Amino acid sequence: MPDLWQDAMDHAVTLARKAGEIVREALQNDLKIMCKSSSVDLVTKTDQNVEQLIITSVKEKFPEHSFIGEESVAAGEPCVLTENPTWIVDPVDGTTNFVHGYPFVAVSIGFAVNKTLEFGVVYSCIEDKMYTARKGKGAFCNGQPLQVSDQKEINQSIIATEFGSNRDPENVEKIFSSMRKILCLPVHGIRGAGSAAINMCLVAAGCVEAYYEIGIHCWDMAAGAVIVSEAGGVLLDVEGGPFDLMSRRVLAANNKTIGERIVQEVEAFPAVRDDAPVNPIK
Amino acid sequence: MADWSECLDVAVDIARRAGQMVSCAVQLEKRVSSKSTPTDLVTEADHQVEELIISTLREKYPTHRFIGEESSAAGVKCELTDSPTWIIDPIDGTCNFVHSFPMVAVSIGFAVRKELEFGVIYHCFDGTLYTARKGHGAFCNGVRLQVSKEKDVSKALILTEIGAKRDSATLDIFLGNMKKILSAPTHGVRIIGSSTLSLCQVASGAAEAYYQYGLHCWDIAAAAVIIREAGGCVMDTTGGPLDLMSRRVVAAGTREIAEYVVKQLQPINYGRDDL
Repeated sequence: MPDLWQDAMDHAVTLARKAGEIVREALQNDLKIMCKSSSVDLVTKTDQNVEQLIITSVKEKFPEHSFIGEESVAAGEPCVLTENPTWIVDPVDGTTNFVHGYPFVAVSIGFAVNKTLEFGVVYSCIEDKMYTARKGKGAFCNGQPLQVSDQKEINQSIIATEFGSNRDPENVEKIFSSMRKILCLPVHGIRGAGSAAINMCLVAAGCVEAYYEIGIHCWDMAAGAVIVSEAGGVLLDVEGGPFDLMSRRVLAANNKTIGERIVQEVEAFPAVRDDAPVNPIK
Repeated sequence: MADWSECLDVAVDIARRAGQMVSCAVQLEKRVSSKSTPTDLVTEADHQVEELIISTLREKYPTHRFIGEESSAAGVKCELTDSPTWIIDPIDGTCNFVHSFPMVAVSIGFAVRKELEFGVIYHCFDGTLYTARKGHGAFCNGVRLQVSKEKDVSKALILTEIGAKRDSATLDIFLGNMKKILSAPTHGVRIIGSSTLSLCQVASGAAEAYYQYGLHCWDIAAAAVIIREAGGCVMDTTGGPLDLMSRRVVAAGTREIAEYVVKQLQPINYGRDDL
């Protein structure tokens, strides 16, 4: 019995590297900026080109597989996870960073079968860091094994989060209130690189103890989720329940102790699910 | 008029050597102490790297003066005079260093008659070297740097850092400032834990502005030259001229963005480096 998913993962790594080349080339050229959902959420021609490259290549090799991709969803495709092998793709994670040339931009490819994440690939293009993980086989960065931090003291922790693209005043207030509570504990610091996928990889690498955010999408977290788990970390909903890929909320932590401590401080707010009918993007 | 280019070359060499020491040390177990607050950290490596830098420079330039972060913490007076003065941060991003968060830099600035003459900043994780000499441009690994010329705040990416003070009143001001800037709206706010590398990101045009209360002269000195030589502006948070000892800074690619940031800020008092 050939290992089908290893073949798929190897293909994902190849594609992520090709995509990374496209991203780096585009950074040398002028960008055409289009707006979607708000002025802070940017999409560029590169975003669409990269996604098309990935989908076309995968369809050629695995014609029966399904896709969930950020640009496809923006173009009206439904975002529903079934039992079918499904590629969950964010062609450019950190589009705002990309537009600025800010050096944290990732290609993120997650893969699920029977609704279970089987592997994740996150390529931080400007740093040239290829993060990979396959269920049961560990997590790696450029071939080096990753291990989450062993820190259990919240006061000795660095926490990653982002402000998100939602500018609804009530939600902005809750985002800042959560941050204030966490800083007051105190923690060593708060960091935000501007890419959900890279923030999750920083948890996996043991560089930050936790990352939480509300308002991101399944394509932002699918790959990073496997990488965190395989590095020994935990995934939770921001209110402490089980991680739900379609919920648009995530808390990734090095261990349960830190994760549950963050849960106590985060003021959660609802986000429209990725798999909700009609599926407006906020 | 002395040519300080030889000093710059020496600074580049020593920043690289110090940076290599840091990138080795980051993989070892660290012994961490607190300075002014539980979140203001120092390690043995900070002391060792600073000692390497200062002893090497003192041997070569025995009449020059030094302002170093760890010397200052040890009680050496932090004072800028007319003498040629090296302004050194051995490890900028000590909290990142302790956690292996990959944004740590060695920073060396140089001033004569209280004017900044050159700056060198070495990114210890990826080997990027930023250099600038007054009147001669700014470079990253030999490639000329240019700030962003964006004037529209709604298209600006803004960088900042949380200072060491974590009391309620300070956090209210800090978060209030950030909320105002975020709500302009801007493209976003990023926090990476190193003032010098954030300032270098402004110099390279990857972000439009940086502001902070609570940093020190050794965090600002080298980066100020780099940003100015990349075509940007560096000023006080009140909009007045930069005061290296004031523990506050606004830096931006354009004056328009800098002045916008200035208007949004409520001050946080961290005192002065030279008192």
